[in-house]
This record gives sequence, C-alpha cells and structure tokens, in this order.
Amino acid sequence: MPSSIINSDDGVISGTSGLKSSGGDDGVLVFQSKGTECGEFDASGNFQFNSGYGSVATAYGCRAWVNFNGTGVVAIRASGNVSSITDNGTGNYTVNFTTAMPDANYSMVLTSGGTSTSLAARIDNPASLTTTSAGPILCVNTSFSVLDQLFVMVAIFR
Amino acid sequence: MNSRIIYPNDEGGVSILIPAPECGLTIEEIAAKDVPAGKQYKIVDAADIPTDRTFRNAWEYTE
Repeated sequence: MPSSIINSDDGVISGTSGLKSSGGDDGVLVFQSKGTECGEFDASGNFQFNSGYGSVATAYGCRAWVNFNGTGVVAIRASGNVSSITDNGTGNYTVNFTTAMPDANYSMVLTSGGTSTSLAARIDNPASLTTTSAGPILCVNTSFSVLDQLFVMVAIFR
Repeated sequence: MNSRIIYPNDEGGVSILIPAPECGLTIEEIAAKDVPAGKQYKIVDAADIPTDRTFRNAWEYTE
C-alpha cells in the first residue's frame, strides 16, 4: 500500500493513486483506481462512474420502487422511497412517493404477473394522473380488462 | 404496519391506502400526505378490509 493514498493540502484532498478532489476550483470529486479515474461527483452533484460502461458517465438512479401483492389482502412486500400504495379498485393502484420527484417527467417501469390471464401493468392515464408525488397503475388481462395481480413491480427513474 | 387508511374516491367507490412498512412515517403522517386534500378518511385495521375482491369496484365508503 502506498504510504500516502490521501493527502490534504489547503482543504484540497488529493492522491497519487486513490481518492482525489480538485476541490476549490471546480468542485469535482474524483475517484481513482491505480491512477485511473473510475468515478466522480461533478460540480453539479451528478454521480458518474464507469463500472464496465467504458467511460465515466452519469448514473441515473432508481428514485423509487415497490413490489406488492395486489390480490386478497393487498400488501407491500418491499419498497424504497414509497410511503404507500393506494388500492383504487380492481387492478387499479397508485404508488405514492415518500420524497416527491422534481417533476412529473419521470419514467415508470412496470411489470406484473401471478395470475393465469395476466398480461401487463400499464400507466393509467399518464397525461392527467401522473404527478410529482404519485404514479398511477392499471393491471390488465389478455382481453385488456383490469384485474388484480399477485405480483406488481414498479421502478421509477428520473 | 397493520393499519389501512380508507377514503371515498371520485368514482363513488372507496380507496384504500396500504402503508409501506419501511417508509419511516407514522400512519397519521401517511394519511396527511397521501390522502387527497379535502377527503375525509378513516384509519382501520387491515383485518377489517374484505379479502374477497370479486366485487371490489362496488365497495363503498360509509361513516
């Protein structure tokens, strides 16, 4: 191990092999491995990493997710940044976020299954029902009629 | 969290809020945040919600 991986000089952290921050001038915090940049926080606070991508690029995180049972006793199996789900009726649910999105232009990724005639989960009336604090979902069967689903899984990216 | 929040929805039926166990909010905080503004609501035990959802869209909110 090098004798000095991290040094601090006038508030600037730098290292010849490990962590490096260009600190006061541009506010960029760079992570290195063996002297090669593998990730950074840029001046706008964007987290960028390589992780096999081929170059250091901004990572767009999943901002909320939930896995729930929409049948019988409707219940959340596990979730992140979700305060609750709303059961509005057969196959009709809303995901409520603990911390709201900055706008309603996020991407919802949905899937569902567990019943023999299940087909898909889709966004319910996205133009009017999608808000910064909640995302609407409809589960449909092969005849495109709503139905409850045993497994409903949602991820929100922004 | 073994409670549910129920409120009348705009379609004449009833909506049921299911709290997320890991969210760190109390049931009252979730009600204040996730029940639409101006809606009356009740906090009930999860066991009070019917499990037979055959006629789910016919369920109604009563005082």
